[in-house]
Formats: sequence, structure tokens, C-alpha cells
Amino acid sequence: MNTGFMIITNNPLVKEKLGEDYHVEYEELSYEDTLKKVQKMIFQGYKLLTHPLSGSVKPNETPYKSVMLSESPEGLDAQAMQIIASAIQACGKFQFKSDLYKPQVYADFQLVDYTLISSALPSAESWR
Amino acid sequence: MKLEVGHIFINDIQFASESKIENGVLYVDEEAVKAIVLEDEKIKGVKFDIAKPGESVRITPVKDVIEPRVKVEGRGGVFPGVIAKVDTVGSGKTYALKGMAVVTAGKIVGFQEGIIDMSGPGAEYTPFSKLNNLVVVCEPVDGIKQHEYEKAVRLAGFRVAVYLGELARELTPDETKTYETYGIMEGKEKFPNLPRVAYVQMLQSQGLLHDTYVYGVDAKRTLSTIMNPTEVMDGAIVSGNCVSACDKNPTYVHENNPVVHDLFEEHGKTINFVCQILTNENVYLADKMRSSDWTAKMCRLLDLDAVIVSQEGFGNPDTDLIMNCKKIEAEGVKTVIITDEYAGRDGKSQSLADADPAADAVVTGGNANQVIVLPKMDKVIGTEEFVTIIAGGNEHSHREDGTIEVEIQAITGATNETGFGYLSAR
Amino acid sequence: MSKIKVVHYINQFFAQIGGEEKADYPAELRVGEIVGPGQALTQQFGEEAEIVATIVCGDSYFNENLDKAKADILEMVKSQNPDIFIAGPAFNAGRYGVACGTICDAVQEELGIPAVTGMYVENPGADMFKNKVYTVSTKNSAAGMRDAVKKLAPLALKIAKGEKIGASCEEGYMPNGVRVNFFEKERGSKRAVKMLLKKLADKPFETEYPMPSFDRVDPQPAIKDLSKATIALCTSGGIVPKGNPDHIESSNASHYGEYDITGVMDLTEETYETAHGGYDPVYANEDADRVLPVDVMREFEKEGVIGKLHNKFYTTVGNGTAVASAKAFAEEYAQKLIADGVDAVIMTST
Repeated sequence: MNTGFMIITNNPLVKEKLGEDYHVEYEELSYEDTLKKVQKMIFQGYKLLTHPLSGSVKPNETPYKSVMLSESPEGLDAQAMQIIASAIQACGKFQFKSDLYKPQVYADFQLVDYTLISSALPSAESWR
Repeated sequence: MKLEVGHIFINDIQFASESKIENGVLYVDEEAVKAIVLEDEKIKGVKFDIAKPGESVRITPVKDVIEPRVKVEGRGGVFPGVIAKVDTVGSGKTYALKGMAVVTAGKIVGFQEGIIDMSGPGAEYTPFSKLNNLVVVCEPVDGIKQHEYEKAVRLAGFRVAVYLGELARELTPDETKTYETYGIMEGKEKFPNLPRVAYVQMLQSQGLLHDTYVYGVDAKRTLSTIMNPTEVMDGAIVSGNCVSACDKNPTYVHENNPVVHDLFEEHGKTINFVCQILTNENVYLADKMRSSDWTAKMCRLLDLDAVIVSQEGFGNPDTDLIMNCKKIEAEGVKTVIITDEYAGRDGKSQSLADADPAADAVVTGGNANQVIVLPKMDKVIGTEEFVTIIAGGNEHSHREDGTIEVEIQAITGATNETGFGYLSAR
Repeated sequence: MSKIKVVHYINQFFAQIGGEEKADYPAELRVGEIVGPGQALTQQFGEEAEIVATIVCGDSYFNENLDKAKADILEMVKSQNPDIFIAGPAFNAGRYGVACGTICDAVQEELGIPAVTGMYVENPGADMFKNKVYTVSTKNSAAGMRDAVKKLAPLALKIAKGEKIGASCEEGYMPNGVRVNFFEKERGSKRAVKMLLKKLADKPFETEYPMPSFDRVDPQPAIKDLSKATIALCTSGGIVPKGNPDHIESSNASHYGEYDITGVMDLTEETYETAHGGYDPVYANEDADRVLPVDVMREFEKEGVIGKLHNKFYTTVGNGTAVASAKAFAEEYAQKLIADGVDAVIMTST
């Protein structure tokens, strides 16, 4: 059953660019708290559709994260639980420096996160 | 398919009034290469510089490293689908300028990374410190979008490399190596008793600054596929990847893919090197399932006995790596995987974001979180402006004595996951 | 430059006092003496270090009088103020290995003096302490002394001098959970090809990164009729009858307890408590049902949701307990549960 998808994000650019056409849940949270929010939803049965550690920009380096989930709960998924747990754990490996950049750099981080999540759209749309 | 690669050794690079290669010296007409770079109207200005092994020079932020090559016989041209027209490459004769590289540098995004130190402790961690490097620092026109700029710099590097490669067309190589693979039946007849081995290469394919191109096709829009391992030697795969300097594969690594070369060393002796399998590292989980399913399916279809799987990047690809390994092993095909680790600065964290008991044969490129202090260099090509904030650096990166403290993940090629380097960890 | 001062710890056997019959030999400080394996170490040290004292202790004495032995030995080590403390090598002698690990750990933690030991990889002491104390991997018998000392002495010197310690495979210590970078002689791709050839030939090969180990257990088929099933409660949360009659350790438990709960409807503050260290025990002690839910199971029993609650529960402390020990406990009491006709177990942690 295809129930559509939604994007959990703390990236204002994703909300701005995709919010009109897609279901985007934007909340001003940290990278790690965004992952924790996703984890909570996975525990509620939402299906994880994109990898939470998308992108080679490291957690705590970029402050932005967007993750795609099914629009409604579809049942528990052990693999997704393991992936999200590892992703949250990975945050602890990197020194926090998300707040050290010049303002323009945040626009770059937003753009990269936006392109990462956008790269999932063609696949998501063809299936969901 | 058979490819002869002629090596032309370059011991020095000098600027001169005329571009040519003579007695192992590459003379570069700065005006000529400048014109080539400025062909793209998105690039406003360009500076060239030369960095030699042992010099007190730091190149940063590095975008790509490219080895100049020229196709002298056989189908197609170097960088098919990108610079040369689309045509199957990997056969005939190709000359490569060994001991040198074209390095593109300069800011594309504000967190740009990549350091090549030509001397000192940092030089040990990057394979490109051993090369004579012609560094190309591009300046974009105002108001350009990041993805346009990335593309402009990417292509400028290839154009310069092709121009330099052409200088070797009429030369006689210092040495020649021959690489040959066979059709399925042919190989079976030729080496009836040798185990059938392939190389599964995972390509970074996630989005802006995270892309790889195969014959010009964006790898995230591909299904897993097979090719002759000689094709990469003609630039069939190029890098559009600018993030995670330590474990991204610059184009140079694709052209000189070490797994391809080391499997060829054993080809016909202890193994039958059947082919190279390409697969991607997409963001969408169902894509990962599909790609790894296809990879495993092809391993079975090709009746392989074993494969080496290499990775590119951090985090997300760990999942692809483990999926590939698990599924290929489940087909009864033995695997060795190459990865690197993010075990934290203290080395105590879980190294990978995914794991499985099937991955019982792992080669590691080391812990990318290791901290290193880099000395002050006499000269910086590019800008150190970003070193303070690039991956692994922090607000204290620039210390009072001019040295910088970074994690080795900031160093280009430090923990390469095709096994290009010597670093490891236990 | 003065020599590095070493205090060396050995058991009664290596001090040539005697075997098992002398294992109750109490801890003894021999100042200025070099005993048994100390000779080989001294030779290996050359001019760089000297053993200023040897401590001899029987294995049984150490393990049976743990607190006193530890305190006494720490006092002895302190009196000599060495630069480094070396214990063993213990080879495959289990209690000796555990003693070496325990005392090295204590010397490091309580005296701040670095310590190093050596033993066979399957010595239980290795599993328990290799992540806390640099433990050189030795052969499984004293015939491997030469080889052991060759690794032990240089590592001890390096540690004493505060030099950077290389990767486990370079220095000869057992992997200790800390990943250390080093440069190999061959590039990664070459190592991958070599590993592949070995794997293809079914020859032994050594992975450079052992995957974190998983002991995955396939789920048993579901119980068809819960109302007829006998359910047992088990816990690694350390719930024991008040007073901890079997002295289950608060960490690194060496055994489990079996307790009868026939007629017990509710675990109260007066009757049960937790033996577990490492977490705030207040809530478990206040009402042990919070960890081992006897009260709820009794309700289910009464309502007929389950057939009955098994009249015994099994308990141990999970805090730092070696996986191998935990596995051994469960293997043993699982047999008892089967023999008693238990259909299913609810296993709780803390």
C-alpha cells in the first residue's frame, strides 16, 4: 500500500523549496534532535525511506538534516531502528562546530542538505 | 579487451613560453592553459601554481586531482561522455603522465575541505604529496550558483588535463603495461582452474558535491552495471565529489584504481579477473536495496567465486557496503570489503554506522578522526580561510604559532576506501 | 639517566614455591629480588630498567581474599613507587590471569602507576581486563616465555617512558577497543587482494576490523495458548532476597542466584532488593517488582491470562559481567527451566 511520504527537516530551505508540493514537517531543532524525532516516529511505525546519515558532511559540522518517512505508520522495522540508532550514535563522534561558520556558509549547508533529500524524490515519487 | 598504458615520467613542471614535454620535464604555457580554463564563461579568472614534493607548500581547499592522459590508439578518447564523445574506451593504447597531477582548488561552498601538504607530517597522509602538481585555482563570475560553479571547475580540470595529455601523443613511453580481460566463455577456457574474481566499486551518488559520473551519466540515476576494468584507465569514471576529503575518490584514483591494478597483478596467475561491477550509494533506502540486489544478482550470473568491494564516503554508504557484502556472501561469493573508520578522536567509538557478521574480511584505511598537527607552510596555494572550519578542524585549528590542528579527514586521500594508501588501524 | 623502576608480580608457581598445594601463599614483598620470569625481563630491559622488587602471591590466596590481597599488594607497590608495574605473564593459568588483570587494573586506578600484563588470549583474565590494561598476547604455556617477554619488556618500557603506543598488531598487545592508526607496508588494495586469495583458498586470514560481535538468537515459535503456559521470570537486574544471601557481586558477577517465590505475591522493600551496582538502586529497592514484576504476573495468573508463574526465579547482575560468564549462567539454568517444564521466560534487565 502506498501511503505517500513526508520529509522531516530542520532545514528552512527544504521547507521553502519543497513545502508547497510535498508534505514537509519543519521544526527548528538541532541535527541530533532531528534524528531523535525521526527515531521516535520509527518507533511509532513510520517507515524510514532515506538514510539518516545522507551526505558526507558530518553531523555537528552541518546543522541541517532532512529525512524522508512514510506519511503514516506502516509497522515496525528492525533494520530502520538499527540504522537510526547508529546514526544518532555517530553524532557523538564529531566535535560540535555547527555554530562556528559565517552566515553565508549556512546557506551552503542548507543547499547541500536540500540537494541530498531532493535526490530521493524521483525514486520516492515513482514508488509512493 | 586489451589496453596498453604507456607511462611517461614527469620529474618536474615549469612554466614556459611553449607547452611541451622534454626529458621528463613538463613545460606549461600559462597563457595557453589559462585560455582553456576561461573557455567557460562561468569562470572569471584563474591562477596557476606549481607544487613539488618536499616543498613547504600547502594546497587547500582541494577539489579534484587528475592525471593527464591521452588516447593514442583505439576507440574513444579520455573522459568519454564528459570531454571526449561517448564511445567505449579501455582498448588500444593510452599514454599517461606519471608523477604529476592537475589539482583543482578553490572555494565552492563555505565548508570546502581538502588539504595536500607537500612536506611535513601531513604529506605522509596524502598520496598526492609525492606528485608534481599543477594547481588550478578558479574564480567564478559573480552570482553563480554553487552547482554551476562545481561543474565549471570540475570540467576545467579535465580540459587542462586533456590538453597536457595531448603533449605526450607523439612521445615514446618510458615503460608500457598491458592489461587484458576476456569474454565470459573465453576467460573460462583460458583459465579453467582459476577462481573467478570481480571488483565491486561503490560510487558516491547522493547529490550536490556528492556525485560521480560514468561516461558522463550521473551515477545515482544508474542501475548496477558491469564494465571492463580497463575502461577506468581512460577516464570512464570521473569525480564530482568534493566532500569528505579523506575518503572521497578524486578522478586520479579512478584512473589509477588500485584494486583494479592489484587484481590485474594476479590476473592469469592466481585469479581470473572477470570484470568490474559498478554500483551506487543513493540516499533513498529502496534504491540501496535495488542496487545491492542487482550487484549480488550479477555476481551470481557471472558465476563469480569472490569479489572485492570498495566504498566511498562516510555514514550513508556504510549501509550500502554492508548490504552488498551480506547479499553477495549469501550468493556463495566470497567478499573482502575496503572501508575506513570514524572511531572518534579517542578511537573508542563504533567505527562504522552499520555492521554484519558476514563482513568477516575487512581492510581499513584507518580512523579518520585521528588528530594531527600540521606545521605552518611557507606558501599556501588556494586559501587557508576554511581550514579553521573544514571537517575535522575547529575554532582552535589555527594556533598561535601558525600550526593547525585538524583531524586527518581534512587531508585529501588520507583514509581512501579503494585501498589507495598505506594507512590502517587496529 | 636513572633506570626505570619496575615492580614485578608473579604467583607462587613462578616463584618456585609450589603448585596448587601452595596456592594459598599470602602476598609477600621481596625488595631487591628478581624472581623467576623477572630474570628474563631484566635481560630484555638491558640497561634501561630494573626490577626493584618482586611481589609473590598465591593464586587461591589472591582470589579468595580479594579485598585484603588487593589492599596489601597496593601498599607494597606504593612503598616501592615504581615507574611501571608488570604482572605475569600468566599464559593459560586462569586464576593467575585474573589476578594479574585485577591487580594491574587496581595499580593503575588507585595508584596512578601504569601497568602491563601478558597472558594467553583464552585466559579468562584477558576478556575481563584487556580493555583496561595493556595485555600482551602470549602462547598458552610457559614454554612461550621467551616470546612473551620479548613483547612485554619493550611495551613496558614504552609505557613507562610515556611514549606513544602504536597499534595492537605493532606492539603485541591484545586489541583493547581503541582503534590506533599506523602505516602498513602494503597499500590497502594489495592487502585486500591478499586477504581475498587466502579466503578463496580457505586459509586463515585476519580481518583488519572485526565486526562488533552479535549473538543473535532466532525467536522461538510463539506460545499457542498462554493460559496454559508456565512462565518464569529471570533478570540481570540483580533482584535478590533482602540481604543478598548468595553474595552476588554488584559488578562483574561470578554466579547467579535461584530463589523460590512460592506464595510470594509481591516483592516488598522489606523482603527484596537489588545487588546491582552502576545504577541508582533506590527505585528497585523500594519496590523490586519494578525490575522483576512478580506482582503483575500473579495478577495475570489469577485472571487466567497465563497458566502459572514458575515458582523459582533466576537472577544475576549484568553490570560489567563478562558475556562468557552470562552465557554460562544461562546455559545452566535454562536446563533447569526446561526440566521444570517452563514454557517461556520473561527476561528483564535494569
